[in-house]
Amino acid sequence: MGDEYPTLFRSEQMSLVQLIVPTEVAHDTIAELGELGNVQFKDLNPNVNPFQRSFVGEIRRIDEMARRVRFFASQIEKEKEPIPIRPLYDSAPLVTVGPRAAQTIDELDVKLAEHEARLTQMNDSYQLLSERLRELVEARHVLRETAQFFEQAAVRETEHRTSLDDSSAPLLQHDDREQQYSTGELQFDLEFVAGTIDRTRLSTFERVLWRVLRGNLYMNYIDIQEPFVDPATGAETRKNVFIIFAHGDILLGKIRKVAESMGATIYPIDVNADKRADSMREVTTRLEDLQIVLYNTGANRRAELMTIGENLASWQDVVAKEKLIYETLNLLNYDVRRKTLIAEGWCPTRDIPQIQLALRHATEESGTNVPPILHELRTNRTPPTFHRTNKFTEGFQTIMDAYGVASYQEVNPGLFAVITFPFLFAVMFGDIGHGFIIFIAAAIMILFERKLAKADLGEIFGTFFFGRYIILLMGLFSIYTGFLYNDIFSKSLHLFHSGWSFAEPNGNDTSVVGIPNGHTYPFGIDPAWHGAENALLFTNSYKMKMSIVLGVIHMSFAVCLQVPNHIRFKRFSDIYTNFIPQMIFLQSIFGYLVVCIIYKWTIDWSKASTQPPSLLNMLIGMVLSPGNVDPESQLYPGQSTVQVILLLLAGVCVPWLLITKPYLQYQEMKKIQGQGYIGLGAEDVPRHTDDTTLEGEEEGNGRAIVEANDDEHEEHDFSEVVVHQVIHTIEFCLGCVSHTASYLRLWALSLAHAQLSEVLWDMTLANVLGMSGLVGIIALVIVGVMWLALTISILCVMEGLSAFLHALRLHWVEANSKHYEAGGYQFVPLSFARVNEKQ
Amino acid sequence: MEALLFNVDSGFLEGIVRGYKAGLLTQNQYNNLTQCETIEDFRTQLSATDYGNFLANEPLPISTSTISDKATQVLVDQFNYLRSNAVEPLSKFLEYMTYAYMIDNVILIITGTLHGRNTNELLQRCHPLGVFDTMPALCVATNVEELYHTVLVETPLAPYFRDSVTAADLDDLNIEIIRNTLYKAYLEDFDAFCTSLGGPTAEIMHRILSFEADRRAINITINSFGTQLSKEQRAKLFPTIGRLFPEGNNALARADDIDQVRQACEAVAEYRAFFDASGTVGGGARPNGTGHGGGSESTANLLGDLGDDLGGGAADLEDRFFVHEVHLNKLAFLQQFQYAVFYSYIKLKEQEIRSLTWIAECIAQNARDRIHDYIPTF
Repeated sequence: MGDEYPTLFRSEQMSLVQLIVPTEVAHDTIAELGELGNVQFKDLNPNVNPFQRSFVGEIRRIDEMARRVRFFASQIEKEKEPIPIRPLYDSAPLVTVGPRAAQTIDELDVKLAEHEARLTQMNDSYQLLSERLRELVEARHVLRETAQFFEQAAVRETEHRTSLDDSSAPLLQHDDREQQYSTGELQFDLEFVAGTIDRTRLSTFERVLWRVLRGNLYMNYIDIQEPFVDPATGAETRKNVFIIFAHGDILLGKIRKVAESMGATIYPIDVNADKRADSMREVTTRLEDLQIVLYNTGANRRAELMTIGENLASWQDVVAKEKLIYETLNLLNYDVRRKTLIAEGWCPTRDIPQIQLALRHATEESGTNVPPILHELRTNRTPPTFHRTNKFTEGFQTIMDAYGVASYQEVNPGLFAVITFPFLFAVMFGDIGHGFIIFIAAAIMILFERKLAKADLGEIFGTFFFGRYIILLMGLFSIYTGFLYNDIFSKSLHLFHSGWSFAEPNGNDTSVVGIPNGHTYPFGIDPAWHGAENALLFTNSYKMKMSIVLGVIHMSFAVCLQVPNHIRFKRFSDIYTNFIPQMIFLQSIFGYLVVCIIYKWTIDWSKASTQPPSLLNMLIGMVLSPGNVDPESQLYPGQSTVQVILLLLAGVCVPWLLITKPYLQYQEMKKIQGQGYIGLGAEDVPRHTDDTTLEGEEEGNGRAIVEANDDEHEEHDFSEVVVHQVIHTIEFCLGCVSHTASYLRLWALSLAHAQLSEVLWDMTLANVLGMSGLVGIIALVIVGVMWLALTISILCVMEGLSAFLHALRLHWVEANSKHYEAGGYQFVPLSFARVNEKQ
Repeated sequence: MEALLFNVDSGFLEGIVRGYKAGLLTQNQYNNLTQCETIEDFRTQLSATDYGNFLANEPLPISTSTISDKATQVLVDQFNYLRSNAVEPLSKFLEYMTYAYMIDNVILIITGTLHGRNTNELLQRCHPLGVFDTMPALCVATNVEELYHTVLVETPLAPYFRDSVTAADLDDLNIEIIRNTLYKAYLEDFDAFCTSLGGPTAEIMHRILSFEADRRAINITINSFGTQLSKEQRAKLFPTIGRLFPEGNNALARADDIDQVRQACEAVAEYRAFFDASGTVGGGARPNGTGHGGGSESTANLLGDLGDDLGGGAADLEDRFFVHEVHLNKLAFLQQFQYAVFYSYIKLKEQEIRSLTWIAECIAQNARDRIHDYIPTF
């Protein structure tokens, strides 16, 4: 079975394998398997804390490296002018396997640490310098602004001087003290504090000061125009220069204290104008020097980041891979005594030779000659589900996986969805024009798929891109159904001779009656119906019946898909306890309806003796008043007998479905108990005492692990079986009715689509097509563009999404509920490719 | 009625807070944490919890204060999220919760300034939930009146402060009196507010707040033994909403030693248990206080320092109080359509941060025998 060609029909055959890996090659082996990407490792130490596992030290080291790499990345990102990061495919690969692996990692670790140290140092000094720069700039502002203030004050000072002189003694005292160290011409009565403060805190600052000093202050402040940028975070702050005049040392002390605690910076300013000019000059020169130093530091830092940018991508890659490798190694069972690691995991049976090859390769690479040993283990655990998909089937498989992952080796509806999904979509979307548009869109995505796959497309467009092959098929099928409906942008095509001919309209009477001319339109709907008064009546009846026919076929097919499952899982009794009654039930009511629909289509009612009967009423009558058929609306002779028989058949199926399976189970249980077995259950196949067991005993290790985990079996309770079967029966029988009705959405959506596109045409292009001259051309262009835009946005995208949704529902609910168990779990192999995808 | 209309305004936030609550560490996770050998192990272990990678970008070695700070930051972010999405009266309720932190911060800064600490350092140690604009200016105040008139007058704490303006100047004892007066006024006001909300909020919050009140009353009493705090002054500090009020409070006011405290608490069955074993176990004081993560005990408990001889018993009693508080807060989650879950969540998270810091501290100081003394939440 293992060498069976892989199909989508069933999931891949899986094997539980055990790997015995010598410690020396463990790392390289995992790396090799990660590149290969088809082994899913099992956690063999589920009871061990993450930090008590064998390779925590390595993981921690890798984490530290990862932190450094993240730090570099964030630094590069923050840089205003973008720094090029060389892409991964362009940079030299960092080899982390083979005999020199440990050394490479050590070197990388050291290199990262060095870079980090250098970068932090540069950041620090850069920050320090910018801090100093900021202070100097602030000081300059304070000097400049206060100078203005003092100049104004000086002018006023001389004016008021005389009047103040003799009035207040304390001021004079103060003057005296001031004169001791300030011999300038200008003397101030008040002392002051000057500095800068964050603009947002200014009002609080002023308020607090006002209260602290009880209003004994004079405060002046001026905005600094340009913002200050914090070099580390890039945040902008705006500041104000303030100068506060107050009186007395205690008050000044308080002001300083408040200012400091509010985050203000205070600068010493001299009252003397000359000294102020001096310090202004000094500040300016220092500022210039500092700017040069700062520029150099910035350039150095940039150069450092450039060198980091050269290698960053490959570092990120290596770190991510190494982390994954060690995390995987932690899942392994570590036999300290024997210096080996024991791994267990699932892999596709077909891939075992490949894995063997990879193992040998890993051994050769690492330069030792102790190869890892791989052997298959027998188990009765359920393997994971693995469908080998390619880029074409991936999308369809994802649709089904979104509903539920198939049980192991179950018939996979994803295979059939490849055709049924686009087809059911197209039934609702049938229009040659619209189908062509989405076909072209998908074709473009496929033509440029290499380029698009690399680019980051964003969530919405990325989803469309992922489903490009679905869209392609949806487009193709829509073109096909468009031909069936004879619909192109709500117009029809005259490909063949119409089956109807119309007389020339005469006079005022514009309505003419079509006369059949003996032709039969060979494919699709006759274009003569287009524009006919009863066109809607005709297409409605046609599409409604067609959706019922399609629906019953789809459901019958889904029911049939049970059979391969029953055969594969050796549940032969299920064929006649589940499949056959279900099939009979479905066919005797709805299959019969389909037959009637087709039969009714074949009859030429214009020549028949009776009126065409309503099939809906016929079906209702068949259930409500069995045996009575009104001769007026009889479809065929003997109808009542046939219907009674069919109804009885369906009626029998319900108890059949309800009882047989539980009864069989009950019988089996009794048989087992009758033989004297109890407890352990009959499903347990006796364990083969072949060489694997012997080997296991020899190994001592690993063997126990498999058995310890074998506690998955649930004891099947009889009552559980009964309840399950009751639910199943009710669900199926009611489901048949509601699901058949549910397929009417095919008709409803296709009708809505056709009507919407007709309305769009009538409201836009139909009005301007007849116009002539320049106005006509301009109007045609404008309206044409509008029509195209609306066609794409409303009819193709919105209607398309709606039809997609309904097709999805028809698959998930109507079809899958008939056969799909979806009780599996996904195969998640260790794969480096996935890690890269995530990044 | 709550069931009908509660979710209109607060349903979303209640959902959020219950989600947060589901992220609190479980007993199992605590067990794993206590098995850690180093702080790095601790970090690895925490990264598997709801904290995620909150320490991932910290360079090694990680100090316990970093852990505490970062964890508090998580709490603060969550609280701010709740608060910015809240509407009246929940926003008012959440605001009330911040007042407690404000009181702590005010006291912290005044005490710090009194002892000549650096203002910036003090500001950094303040709990981020209790920060207000004019807070830095507190350090200028030299007496109580100044304190009130310069800074507190425009904060929400002003009404609570009015009663204590009479106190003359700032010394250790007065600060402690101020703190307790503030707290008393705050608790009473909060309780009144919750009562005005009515319904289960009032019921549950009253249960929690009255325990808080009793705890403070008992603490004040125990800590005031051997200080110059007079019994009348002491009586004035007791909140009047607790279950001990009024007889218990009166008895506490008269108490001279721990036995009399015990007798005062006899009336309430739950409280009796606190004292039952406190004499026999008597563990030493915690090495790092109760963690600087926050809570009313974060600032130096000065009266506690004065009553040194009772330190051992008091620390043990303190732990029991915490356990009971956690228990009450857990009960709050059993009822729906009420605001107490917000209060309880923040308190539980705080407790969790304290426990984390404790475990980290024990790991860092290699005091593995005491590592199990943390207080589990869930």
